[in-house]
Amino acid sequence: MMEHFLDAFGLAFTPMSIAAIGLGSLVGLIFGSIPGLTFTVALALALPISFSLDAVPAIGLLLGTYIGGMTGGSVSAILLGIPGTPSAAATVLDGHPMTKNGDASLALGTAVIVSVFGGIFSLVVMIVSVDLVSKVAIGFGPAEIFALVLFGFSTICGLCGRSLTKGLISGVLGLMIMTIGLDLIEGVPRMTFGSVNLLQGVNLLVAMIGLFAIPFIIEAFSEDAHLPKTPKKMANVRPELPSFRLVFRNIWLMIRCSLIGTGIGAIPGTGGAIASFLAYDHAKRFSKKPETFGKGNIEGVIAPETANNAVTGGTLIPLLSLGIPGDPATAIVLAGLMIHGLVPGPALFMNHASEVYGIYIAVVLAYMWVLGLQLLGIRLFVHVLRVPREILAVVVLVLCVIGAYSIRNSAFDIYSMAAIGVAAYVLVAVRIPITPIILGMVLGPTLENEFRTAMMLSEGKVDIFYTSPTVVVFFILAALVIGLQGLSELRAKSKTKQKVEVSDA
Amino acid sequence: MKYPMKFRGLFVAAATAATMVFAGAAKADFPEKPVEMTVLFGGTANTIAQLLSELMSEELGQPVVPVARKGGGGAVGYTHLQNAAADGYNIVWNSNSISTTYHTGRIPFDYTAFTPIARVSTEIPALAVNSSTGWTSLADLTAAAKAGGKLKIGISGKGSFTHLTSAALFDAMGISDKVVYISYTGGKAPIELLAGRIDAAIQWPGQFASYAQAGDLTVLAVTGAERASVLPDVATAQEQGVDVNITMWRGLAAPAGTPPEAILVLEAAAKRAVENDRFTEASKNIGFSKAYLGAEDFGKVIASDDIFYGNLLDDLGMAK
Repeated sequence: MMEHFLDAFGLAFTPMSIAAIGLGSLVGLIFGSIPGLTFTVALALALPISFSLDAVPAIGLLLGTYIGGMTGGSVSAILLGIPGTPSAAATVLDGHPMTKNGDASLALGTAVIVSVFGGIFSLVVMIVSVDLVSKVAIGFGPAEIFALVLFGFSTICGLCGRSLTKGLISGVLGLMIMTIGLDLIEGVPRMTFGSVNLLQGVNLLVAMIGLFAIPFIIEAFSEDAHLPKTPKKMANVRPELPSFRLVFRNIWLMIRCSLIGTGIGAIPGTGGAIASFLAYDHAKRFSKKPETFGKGNIEGVIAPETANNAVTGGTLIPLLSLGIPGDPATAIVLAGLMIHGLVPGPALFMNHASEVYGIYIAVVLAYMWVLGLQLLGIRLFVHVLRVPREILAVVVLVLCVIGAYSIRNSAFDIYSMAAIGVAAYVLVAVRIPITPIILGMVLGPTLENEFRTAMMLSEGKVDIFYTSPTVVVFFILAALVIGLQGLSELRAKSKTKQKVEVSDA
Repeated sequence: MKYPMKFRGLFVAAATAATMVFAGAAKADFPEKPVEMTVLFGGTANTIAQLLSELMSEELGQPVVPVARKGGGGAVGYTHLQNAAADGYNIVWNSNSISTTYHTGRIPFDYTAFTPIARVSTEIPALAVNSSTGWTSLADLTAAAKAGGKLKIGISGKGSFTHLTSAALFDAMGISDKVVYISYTGGKAPIELLAGRIDAAIQWPGQFASYAQAGDLTVLAVTGAERASVLPDVATAQEQGVDVNITMWRGLAAPAGTPPEAILVLEAAAKRAVENDRFTEASKNIGFSKAYLGAEDFGKVIASDDIFYGNLLDDLGMAK
């Protein structure tokens, strides 16, 4: 083991590999932080470049892009309220209000520091327990994953603000959108109306761009031109980094969210978005002041950002030990591994131990790059807030059109982005929250497919959903979340009723 | 030539516009501008396509630009190409999916809408079981199927290539009424085998190789006429007395009506790309076989395969 580690140091600390990792991190950060552009596209660009590099720099380039993108996604989420990746959708909830309160750079600084913490934490967990965790992950069959995803879905309760009904409407809309296209289980087209374009379904990233960026653009132009453009507080671009005390005070929250992220990442077929929503919900539920969430509570930034980066380490477990990519981004990393002869699976750790350790070191280096680049970048990023909103909106619009097209090289996706965006604007206008749509879209296909596969496995008997203890635990957790939410809604209602009665008297 | 993919599309568009201006002038040798290669799938298909396009670019002296048009089991990309100009600058990285998408009614045109250029590679499906079952051959599996309840077979969705292969194999083994198919999305069948939730699965050799080496899974057979290069010790179904020969091929095609001169140039470039050492190395690493076949022979393979998969889908009740 020791000699493998020394070999790995030799592989990872070459100028080529450090530069490749740095380039990846930078490209990932740029694509992740610019609204409309997504780091999945950046990874697709990096893949052919990685072919001509040695194994460790090549994988370092890809992982650097992945990690940079995952971290960069928080930048536009915080500054503009447009998440750069689905995993950053939960960060919008408190990150953007912090910007409105004039704390943009504090939110950005905290996000990057906790991201690095989450990423390194999960890597350490991965190194010491890859065998154990992959065994546990194998134990997650279709029924278990269905139950876990259902639990994830219950976090909608915490996202819907005032009205549970409106949150559910939004979540179900997300589920419905994802049924469009070719059904992978039965191989039949659904809701396509004979159109080949609809056969490819609605892409999650295209929808995400439409949902968050288009309302931003419309709002920028519908504002009364005579009113002051940006609140004074928001234009405060003083670079302010979080103090050690602030970070240290939340260390327990960070550790808990890292564990959530690592665990979710280790289970194939889940990913960053569900981890960040679960972490956000967890933070809110166990906070002393849950009512301040959604209004710019820093814990609402710490939780999802720690968790979604903790997924990067967790996701290496199924990727390296089982060869199962957790999302489209890691699928591209898998291609990079394969072409260099690093075929994932149990034999990888026997035949290529040095390269595997080299990959671990590359992850740490990538986080160091991200930390450095991002902390420097914050000074630049915050100036975006000084740009007049209309000009910003035009730039965002152009980027979104390019971004939507580039995901699948499909002009149809530009139209679907626009259609979804206008629909989102209407939903915002009638106060239906749009974040649950993203949650529905992320979880919908997994929820449905795993349920159907489970039912096939059990040959149509429902006992598969109550004979496994894991399934039962997640069902109970989901029921608890829903029950508690119902209870607090009832209480809130009776309180307002009392008030009404008092005022009547 | 490493243009970022996003800008490649723009680049191609700009180049097209530029060359159209000079189209009236004397025709220079093909190709005089970048060739766009539509890629229909991610995963292995995409990885091979990226490498092939790089090697072909070196041969042609013009970039071959891979552009992903995924979705609909290939329907989106095929439709795009069928509508594209038949001038040699639009080609598709195709596969047996041209037959399956047509016969399941996802596209209104069949393989005759395209002119074959060359077959490039093949992948041979493999059948694996958990080592703890003690089964080591197809005969063991047949015996187990006839003795007990129905076997659960993991596939990647109804109508997928792994499903068609399974159906043909178990039919040839005479146990097609003794199996039920479990559809998995996301290539999870090997894990499900490890966990013992299913009895057997047909997937690609590369997905099983590592587990077979570690002794967790046993690969009983491959379904092609030849053994798979990554699993040299695994006997074919035919060697075990089961008459089935299914191999998935990948190759290049262009819209029907593409000038024969252009096809010749592309065919030669594909041939030299396949002969390149880097392609050989990649085939070993990724787990596919190099299988160059010229345009004419490739056309015959496509035509005979189309009848075969048409009938198979008909038997399964999935043909439209």
